[in-house]
Amino acid sequence: MADPQTTPDSIPPDGPAAPRPSRAQAFRETLSELTRLDGVRGGLIVTPDGLVITSELPPRFPVEALAALAATLGRELELGASRLERGAFRTALFSADDGTVFVGGSPVGYVTVVADRNVNSEGVRTALGRAVDRLRGTWRTSPI
Amino acid sequence: MGLATFLERTWSGITGLVKPRSASSLFRLADQFRHEGRYEDAAELITEGLRVSPNIAVGHLLDAYLHVVFREMPAAKASFRRVLALDPYHPRALFGLARIALEEGDIEGCRPFLDRAIQYFPDFPEAKALQEMVATWTAPAAGASTAIGTISLERLRLPSGAHDLVVTQADGTLVFAQGSEERQKHLGLHMTQVYRIASATLARAGLGAMRRGVIEGAAETTFLRSDGGVILGVALAREVEVGAGLVQVGRLWTDLNIKA
Repeated sequence: MADPQTTPDSIPPDGPAAPRPSRAQAFRETLSELTRLDGVRGGLIVTPDGLVITSELPPRFPVEALAALAATLGRELELGASRLERGAFRTALFSADDGTVFVGGSPVGYVTVVADRNVNSEGVRTALGRAVDRLRGTWRTSPI
Repeated sequence: MGLATFLERTWSGITGLVKPRSASSLFRLADQFRHEGRYEDAAELITEGLRVSPNIAVGHLLDAYLHVVFREMPAAKASFRRVLALDPYHPRALFGLARIALEEGDIEGCRPFLDRAIQYFPDFPEAKALQEMVATWTAPAAGASTAIGTISLERLRLPSGAHDLVVTQADGTLVFAQGSEERQKHLGLHMTQVYRIASATLARAGLGAMRRGVIEGAAETTFLRSDGGVILGVALAREVEVGAGLVQVGRLWTDLNIKA
């Protein structure tokens, strides 16, 4: 297992934790449903402390860097919603010339989806909302 | 508690009678639970481990991580500092404190933590990503224009129910904001930070500079537009669809005579 004292803990040397009928399984299934959508390149679920719980991104994608930024963005969106009294942050999308990043917020962490420029934003946003609701459910229920 | 957890704990209790578990084994299992999202179970093990061995840095580090997950930032900060008291160059603790400083809006306080983390642990992509992001942030120039109130709301095609209209420059200079002075300050800071972090995220994903944003809250939806120099944000009713909201923000952008 990863030694958090010396190793970046988002990349445990022995790989991701073994599948269990637990939150971890729910995380993987939730992300997998999103990455199957048309125009979605990949995604990850990252905890507020930046730990990558699960990721499905193309090879050579900078997973650790993206995770750190996604966790920072997720926290800013949470904090802004709280400070401005806008209710809990649910989802967000940010588009650029070559694609869009979607972020969903939940107590467990943040779902981040990287998509092509011409992706169906409304469709991904709806699916992301469902994913966020599912993650909220895992937080409320017993982990096993 | 589920059956598996119950059996696991019963078994561990029985074996514990024979041989008490070491702090390191408790922390190892806690870290495994953390990777599986079993935060409550991890927290129990960390508490037990730190009771047995209160001077193990990794225990305090795991404790800090869980406080962050539970959004207990003062406690997280204290735990990260305990790690540094035991190991002044611990990169993960330095990184944790950098991230907390960042979310507190303390950019100058964040930078030294990142610099130290990378100095002692050069192969640290997460810290490098934040360091590169923060390096591009500039403070508002001295004497920069903060012409709040010079924008005439009457001349804008402000959609019905729209509020929290805010215009800032990418360096954080507030150009205009609705609401009280306190709210203006929060709006300006938040819009600037969201723009900066989202831009860094998009760039890291190889997608280019941020042009538009939509933030859905429980009560309302915020729409953003930027050309890289100016950021426009406005809150609309939550029911407004993404396409319609972006069109309305586009009209405001034109009314404000901001050249994209």
